[in-house]
Amino acid sequence: MDKQVIIVGLNHRSAPIAVRESVAFDGTEMRRGLRELRAAAAAVEESVILSTCNRVEVVAAAADAESAGRELREFLAEHRDREADEPLEQHLYEYRGPDAARHLFRVASSLDSMVVGEPQILGQLKEAYRVARESGTVGTVLHRLFHRCFFVAKRVRTETAIASRAVSISSVAVDLAKRIFDRFDDKTVMLIGAGKMGRLMALHLQRHGVKSLMVTNRTFEGAVDLASHIHGSPIRFEDFPQYLKLADLVIGCAGAPAVLVDAPMVEKVLRERKQQAMFFIDIGDRRNFDPRINGIDNVYLYNIDDLKAVAEENLQERSAEAEKAEQIVQEEVESFDRWLRSLERAPTIAALHHKFEQIRCRELEKSLSGALRELSDRERQALDRMTSAMIKKMLHGPISRLKAGRQDDEDLLYVAALRRLFDLDPKE
Amino acid sequence: MEVILLKITAILYLVAAVSYVFYVAFRNANSRIPAVALGAGFTVHSAALAAHFLREGYPAVTQLSDALSFKSWLMIAAYLVIQLKYSVNVLGCIVTPLAFLMSLAGFAFGSQGAEVPPALKTFWLPLHVTLASLGNAVFALAFAVSLMYLAQERRLKHKKVTALMKRLPSLESLDRLNSVLLFWGFPFMTLGIITGSIWAGIHWGDYWSWDPRQITSGLAWLFYGALLHGRVTAGLRGRKAALLTVFGFVVVLGYFLWGDALFPSRHGGRFD
Repeated sequence: MDKQVIIVGLNHRSAPIAVRESVAFDGTEMRRGLRELRAAAAAVEESVILSTCNRVEVVAAAADAESAGRELREFLAEHRDREADEPLEQHLYEYRGPDAARHLFRVASSLDSMVVGEPQILGQLKEAYRVARESGTVGTVLHRLFHRCFFVAKRVRTETAIASRAVSISSVAVDLAKRIFDRFDDKTVMLIGAGKMGRLMALHLQRHGVKSLMVTNRTFEGAVDLASHIHGSPIRFEDFPQYLKLADLVIGCAGAPAVLVDAPMVEKVLRERKQQAMFFIDIGDRRNFDPRINGIDNVYLYNIDDLKAVAEENLQERSAEAEKAEQIVQEEVESFDRWLRSLERAPTIAALHHKFEQIRCRELEKSLSGALRELSDRERQALDRMTSAMIKKMLHGPISRLKAGRQDDEDLLYVAALRRLFDLDPKE
Repeated sequence: MEVILLKITAILYLVAAVSYVFYVAFRNANSRIPAVALGAGFTVHSAALAAHFLREGYPAVTQLSDALSFKSWLMIAAYLVIQLKYSVNVLGCIVTPLAFLMSLAGFAFGSQGAEVPPALKTFWLPLHVTLASLGNAVFALAFAVSLMYLAQERRLKHKKVTALMKRLPSLESLDRLNSVLLFWGFPFMTLGIITGSIWAGIHWGDYWSWDPRQITSGLAWLFYGALLHGRVTAGLRGRKAALLTVFGFVVVLGYFLWGDALFPSRHGGRFD
């Protein structure tokens, strides 16, 4: 069997954020994960772990895709947080061969992102590749695959307009906030809960000028910890309703199933702050804000689905560009597939045989109709057998080596060298 | 001569109005064409008014058509000031069509209204008319700003994100602009009423004669005063403030156009 690419993972479409977070790899976990994977998974020959807030995927190369897929699933389930109980299996997807290459190329060119065209994913991929290379888990196939995927991302970025109006959920929210507020430097943000999305959005708002940030969490230690990370002031959870009147933007990312802020509460707060506009962003996977808040004058409430819908609208404008991008991905998948197939042994052996046989027949024909014209039929047959045996003997070494190889990187290198040296690749 | 200039003005305002609408509707539309057309229209308009002033010795305000023209000129002037200070291009999209319609209405209404008796042609005439009209012009801008606020607010509430939203200023700045305009419009209106009352007192004998025009001006003054008071003290802002501004201006404009026909006033034609 020959090596192929295989991807097992989950993303923002296949799994809710809680599941994704339970599988995610932090910076140091990644190296350990790669080591563990190498130790535990016998079939997986090469591997790269990609872990962002929207996806966790293991990209691998293996000859035995069946076993490798199973091992990768086990590995992810093993790595998962202990407290998570929901079965992971239903959220996982698996791609093999050209489908896997296509998936990775689409991820790299941000066609698979929650917000199509956002540029962060490429950097995250490069980082994942770097860590894996340093851990020594990248071989010929993934090396080539990742270099191709960086190239595809670059092509998509330069040849289509997909990235030109890229928007992440955070930037959609900031964009909307700019429709409400003129400036951010005199505004106060309150972040309720420690979810990753909320933290990202708070950081994004700070980059846009917000100076005052209040942070609250169910546990006060959590709030203090979070506040120290994003330069905010921690507030006790039971006190946050009192401070609400100071907040112009309120981000809910508590992940709690409870409604933390309801409409009467906001009405009261609004009277206290003389009807100054408030923007509520409900970004967790559970609703933290009462939907009726949006019905109150001078108050605007957007939840994660609303933000996605806005991002989606931007996406629709780009559908023509997306088609162009898919075209590029398709071309590159085919080109990668051609390269990968060229590394397969059986066709290489056949091509080598064919090449030598061709040379032998041509030269034999030339001699037998030229200088050796006088030879008898018996002599001709003997000559034919002799040249045939010669070729066989000459090729025996390299071919048995190819057949016996476990197709590690060294073998792949030989295959590639053979094809190059003997010019075995069909001309395009 | 003046009529020709006013016609040119109307055409230039139309060009400005159409190109402003284009500017707002299409992302790549040119923003200089409307500005140039509006500047040219305003210049020609000023020339027409100056010609009238030089010939008659008082501004062209005594007939309805003239008054409309004068008001639109003041409105554009106020807009240009606002534009220089706050740079709200989109406001032009409402102000220029309004100016065009006012000039069109000026031609349509023709020369209604009577000649001003010579006895009334004192410096109180331009003073009163300019102050009162300036108040109205500033309120017209507040009206336009409020319409923009309502449009922006509606889209945000209904989560319909459109290209128009990016063209409109933020709710905060529209609300602030509304406040600034009310703040400036109200003193002009007050001075307009005071000068009108003094002028009436000098020529008609009493400062306040419960004339329909005086009553409605008084009511409008109370309305805008309450609006301003609510803004300053009671946190009246946002959508409610915008709705009230629109309501106030529509009533004042309606009264200006048809009030004298409904409630005959010695102000509107019978200067007996």
